[in-house]
Amino acid sequence: MELVRYLLDLSGIGRDRVQLRWISAAEGQLFAKYVAEVTNITQELGPFDPKKFRLPLAAVEQTLNSTRIRWLLGLTKQITEQGNVYNEKLKDKDFKKLLQQATEEEYQKALIIEVLKQSPRSVREMAEKTGLPVYTVSLRLNELERCNQAGLKEYSGSTPIFMGM
Amino acid sequence: MKAGNIEMNKSFEPKILAFLCNWCAYAGADLAGVSRLQYPPAIRSIRVMCSGRVDPVYIIDGLKSGFDSVFVSG
Repeated sequence: MELVRYLLDLSGIGRDRVQLRWISAAEGQLFAKYVAEVTNITQELGPFDPKKFRLPLAAVEQTLNSTRIRWLLGLTKQITEQGNVYNEKLKDKDFKKLLQQATEEEYQKALIIEVLKQSPRSVREMAEKTGLPVYTVSLRLNELERCNQAGLKEYSGSTPIFMGM
Repeated sequence: MKAGNIEMNKSFEPKILAFLCNWCAYAGADLAGVSRLQYPPAIRSIRVMCSGRVDPVYIIDGLKSGFDSVFVSG
């Protein structure tokens, strides 16, 4: 849940679009209060236009479906409470940091993949489309190339053009 | 047309997708209804058997299909 909100922040949609509340079966009043609260928050945020956020939404979805994030989330308990075979445990804070870093990288990769799905592009064009710095794009592109998810298509002049696989 | 738009903006009715746990929030919502508590009509609820059943991707799907926000409750 925290991760989804973090991702929504990353993608510029805003974490407040998702709200989590705990209510027991006996708390009708609380339910009414929370619904009013969530409605107010949403009203302040204004309408959400999914068309405008098509690219980030697709990338967020891809990130949440990525093997790396799924594994990390599934192993949370093991990593922070049980420890590995050497009895090494990560502190909650460190694990959170690790998870956020992994999520950010996966999100950037997902963005690049989504952009390359539209058409083959040069690094500079990708940076423009995704809003990421050129250096970050080339780092992630490198990783994608190693996993065979992107590759060199051709040279236009001396500029390499990449495509999705 | 223009006047209609302005009016729409003024009284913006948000559409909120709510995932309610069958055993907690859904029963809570039921109770709120039975005891005639007033609450905003903005939510569209989906009953799930447990709020742990809600996959993160569902939330994104909700936003994708045009809801203004998503409310998960258990």
